[in-house]
This record gives sequence, structure tokens and C-alpha cells, in this order.
Amino acid sequence: MRTLGKFGKYGGVYVPETLMPALEELEEAFATIVPGDEFKSRLSSLLADFAGRPTPLYHAKNLSDKWGAQVFLKREDLLHGGAHKTNNALGQALLCKMMGKERVIAETGAGQHGVACAMAGALLGLQTEVYMGEVDMERQKPNVFRMQLLGTTVHPVKTGSKTLKDAINEALRDWIANLENTHYLLGTVAGPHPFPSMVKHFQKIIGEEASAQIQEKIGRAPDYVVACVGGGSNAMGIFAEFVEQTSVKLVGVEPAGAGLETGKHGAVLALGSFGCVHGMKSLVLQTEEGQIQEAHSISAGLDYPSVGPEHAFLKDTGRARYESATDQEALAAFHELCREEGIIPALESSHALVGAKKLAQGEAAGKTIIVNLSGRGDKDLHEVMKHDK
Amino acid sequence: MISRDRYRAKFRALKEAKRGAFMPFTVLGWPDEETSFNIIKTMIESDASALELGIAFSDPVADGPIIQAAAHKVIESGYTVNQALDLVARVRKYNDDIPIGLLVYYNHIMAMGVEKFFARAEECGVDGVLVADLPAESSDEVVSIATGNNISSIFIVSPLTREERLDKIVKHARGFIYLVSRLGVTGTDERDASRDTRLTALIASIKKATELPVLAGFGISTPAHAERMMASGADGVITGSKIVDLVAKADPTNMEAELSAYLKSMVSALNSVKV
Repeated sequence: MRTLGKFGKYGGVYVPETLMPALEELEEAFATIVPGDEFKSRLSSLLADFAGRPTPLYHAKNLSDKWGAQVFLKREDLLHGGAHKTNNALGQALLCKMMGKERVIAETGAGQHGVACAMAGALLGLQTEVYMGEVDMERQKPNVFRMQLLGTTVHPVKTGSKTLKDAINEALRDWIANLENTHYLLGTVAGPHPFPSMVKHFQKIIGEEASAQIQEKIGRAPDYVVACVGGGSNAMGIFAEFVEQTSVKLVGVEPAGAGLETGKHGAVLALGSFGCVHGMKSLVLQTEEGQIQEAHSISAGLDYPSVGPEHAFLKDTGRARYESATDQEALAAFHELCREEGIIPALESSHALVGAKKLAQGEAAGKTIIVNLSGRGDKDLHEVMKHDK
Repeated sequence: MISRDRYRAKFRALKEAKRGAFMPFTVLGWPDEETSFNIIKTMIESDASALELGIAFSDPVADGPIIQAAAHKVIESGYTVNQALDLVARVRKYNDDIPIGLLVYYNHIMAMGVEKFFARAEECGVDGVLVADLPAESSDEVVSIATGNNISSIFIVSPLTREERLDKIVKHARGFIYLVSRLGVTGTDERDASRDTRLTALIASIKKATELPVLAGFGISTPAHAERMMASGADGVITGSKIVDLVAKADPTNMEAELSAYLKSMVSALNSVKV
């Protein structure tokens, strides 16, 4: 490989030998095809005309008045498909097409990445198959149906915790067996190199737009940028542009589930330990002897027992900090945004809103906060109704 | 150099006797510690050339459904990595000559600490360690520590491994080369005979790069498969999923006899082929 994709001690390439030829091929394609004019022009027209970029940066005045800080929402919920996942799915599906592979596979938790892949696959004529944990299929039924409508085969994963982590294992196994004609369209900034760097590359447009938009609106950089973190792709997407702007504080919000003290959470950056899973070194929720544990969150998209390696690195270097929000806090923020701004957010993004609210009511009073509203909440209505009863 | 190299001694003896090597695999602690010990004992008594023993991991991406299910059962039973290593020590006490290889995932080594893991493995009588998710690129982190503890680092070569990678792999590899004989994960699915014949060229290129014996694994479950691998130039075979499947389906009162009959059929197929 050209590099091992390390972020300090995190990241790297930790996969069976059988997968190495595919990663080498992908790294090569990422380095040669993606920077080329043909790829860039095809992707940018897809993002503009098919997906609806740029997404707005919206000044949420009602929330701002209520919370006591200037809150801006980066409206990835308005992207085609209903979440930021479309940015990465279009990028990788186009890359797959230009690599001459006719089949894509993907894992999905909440189903948003699966839907994004299904859309991109239908558009570009790729045979698309998605692995999804049985538990998640139950929690996110509408997304399963959406994928099927778009011509994608959804494979239920019945092993282990039957959620995202096991769906990734199954997708990796499929890839190992079929790497000659198949691209694995991984949905987050995790996994072996080059995925963390490649997914960040396709998501960094969020931060690039937000940075230009806030300059236009207030003539300066924001004080805070806040995003939810499961695997961490929407957060990395909006952080990337601001990492060099050192006056901007970067805050990730992890799922605290039923509470950090209960053991039922997905707060990997807060409570995980150094380990190796899914092809990378990162922080991991694990037992003392190294069995990977299950994460818990009301939001299927944040239900992951590890995290993108660059987040672990940003935490260690102090460039970003990571807070957490419980299921209950996320639900409250979900309702608050519905009522105050007329926007139904995804439960994932509701975690970011909790983080922003706590900042606004504390150290960030009167400051400017950009929240990455990474997805819309239509997929979560069933889950929210269950809790509202 | 490794002070007592059981692999080297065994492979030399097999070569002199013109026999192929048979390396059965099972998951340590599956389905329970006593049965696991009896499975391993049956392997030794059925004239297995060497053992490949797996430590159960929650997320075994290189393994297919059969071994994965066994691993999850072991973890659910509360069986620990330390207990698995103790079981290896018990096997070593039972037989001092048979080479023992461990198949582990890297997170277990990291959790214990690389130095401590290999020191402990040596104490337990382990001869080789294959880290399923540690490719040659990333293996500097463990190879010298393994060697320092007299443990051979075992590496995998696949049908898609290109020549420059092969050079990288053989530089670190000791003991034997684990040839993944078909794409995919471990399992007992039907083999594609035409692909098997293409292995001949791959095995020849491995042999050009290293003097280590080449053992073929992944999807090897019948004496006919073993014969085909030997005809392609392999020095022996590794069988795992078939063994786990056979034990899982056997009548418990008759399991050891059934397993022994199967193991002997593999050994005899490997003995009848001239190396």
C-alpha cells in the first residue's frame, strides 16, 4: 500500500491477507481516479443536480432566542435521501463504476447509509446488496422497504448482536469472497485504510460549504461546530474544514444511551479502550480480555462499539472534545426542534442538538454555534411514538 | 532462531516418510472444556501432524458461519482467553512433540499486551501464532516479539496475493505458509475443481520464494480435496469447519469414534499421495 493510513496510533490496516489485494486496489483508485477531472466533474454534477447540494445553513432564530446563543443548522436533512450519507454513497458508487466493478455491498445500521447506497446503485446501474442486523431491520422498517423499492437486496444479519457491528462483519466476509467484481461501500470514517480517509474526503463538502456560508452570513468563523458521533462520518465531514481554523471549537456528541453509568451506551470516546476491530485500531467498547461489546442507543445510526480512528486522534490531541447525550435527552431535543423550528430531525442529529443546547446554556452563551443536522427524522417516527406512549 | 522448532522437526520427518501433513483445527473451549480436550486428544491419537487451535473472538471476520457460531457459543459460556491458554498448556503436557499453532485475532493480543501474550503462549507450549487480521504490512508490531519467545509467526497467502506482497510475507513467515486455497472465509461449501488446478502455479511461486512447507486450508473438507491439494504441490492441508460441523452434528456418545474415523480418512489420503 502507499501508506497505512495512521492517525497517531490509530487507524491502519488490520485485515486478513485475503482482503489486502482489494484494499490495495481501492487505495490506488482513490489516489488516481478521485483527483481526476472526469471523476470530479461527474461527482459534482451528481451532488448538485441529483442530491441537491449545497444544502442550506439555516439560522434557527427561535432556538437561538430560547437557548441564548446563535444557532445555525447545516441542513443535511434536506439532502436527497434525507441524510449526509448520500455524499459518500455517490462518491464511492461512482468510484466503483469507474473501477469497472458491477456490484456494491454495504452495511447499514439505521438504514440511511443503505438507502443512500440503494439510490446510488439504482442511478448508476450497480447490483446493490445491503447487510443489516435483524434488530435494526425491525427498528427501521421504512428504510428496509425504501431499499427494496430501489432494487436493493437486503440481507438480514442474524449473528452476534444482530446490529451494525455484525452487519460490517458480514459485509467484510462477502467482500473477501467476491472482491474481484465487488466494491464494499463502507458508510463511515471507520474500517481499514483507505476507508477513514476516503469517506472523510467525500463528506468534507459539508464543512467546506458551512464555512463559506457562515462567512457570508456573519462575516466570520463560528465559535463552535457540533455534530453527533457514532462511527463519525457526519462529524468528520463538518469538522475537517474547521480543524485548521483553531479558533473554532469542535464538539462531538456520543450516545450515552440509558446513561454512562448503566453500561448501556455507545460512548466509545468517553469510555472505550484502545483496541483493534473491523480492520482498524481505535477506541473500542470491549471486555478486559478483548471481546467486543454491544453498544446501546435509541438511535440505530449511533449504535456502534468503536469509532472512526481520526476522532480518537482528535480527542487525544485535544483538537476536538466529545460529550454525550442520553436517549431521553435526545428525545427531548427531537421534540424541541419539531416545535420550535418546524423541523423533524433524525434521532442521531438530536444528540448534536443536546450538545449544542448544553453549550448555549453554559460556556457558549451568546456565541455562534453550527450544528450539523445530519439527517431528517421520518425514519424515527415509529421509535419516537413508542417512547411517547 | 527458534530454540526448539517442532514445526521444522515434524515437516522434515514427514518429508522423509514421503507423507503429506494433516493439520486439524478446532476452537479452544468448544463446546466445553472437557469435550474440547477430548477432541484435541482424538486429533493427536488419529495421527494428526500438527494442531491449529483457535481462540474464540466476538467478531471473527476471516471465519465463516460454522466457526463463528462455535466461537460465539464459547464466549457466551463465559470461557475466557486465559482458560483457552490453560487448555493449550494441558494439551502440551499430554503430548510434547506435536506442533501447536494458535489462531487468534489481534484484539486479544492487544488486550493482554503483545509481550505478555507471547510470553504466556510460549509458557503454554505454543509453537506458532497466526494473527488472522494482521497482514505483513502491520506485522512488525509482533514478529520480533514472537521470535523472541521462540514462536513462529505464521502468515497467509491467498490466490490474489501478488508477487511483491509474497516477498514481504515470506520475509516474516516461519513454520509454514498457510495457503488460502479459495477466496472467501472458512467453511465447507462446494469447491470449484477448475480453480483448484490453478493453484499449482501459485504454490510453485510460493515454493520459489521460500523453503517453508505450504499447507492449504479454507474449504478443505474431504480426502478428495486433500488429494487435489497434494496434486497441486501442497505439502499438506488444514481442516477446520468440517471438524466443528462433524462434532456439532455427532451423537455425543459416539462423537470421538466418528471424529477419529474422519481424521484417519484424511491422514490416510495424505499418506497415499507421494510427496
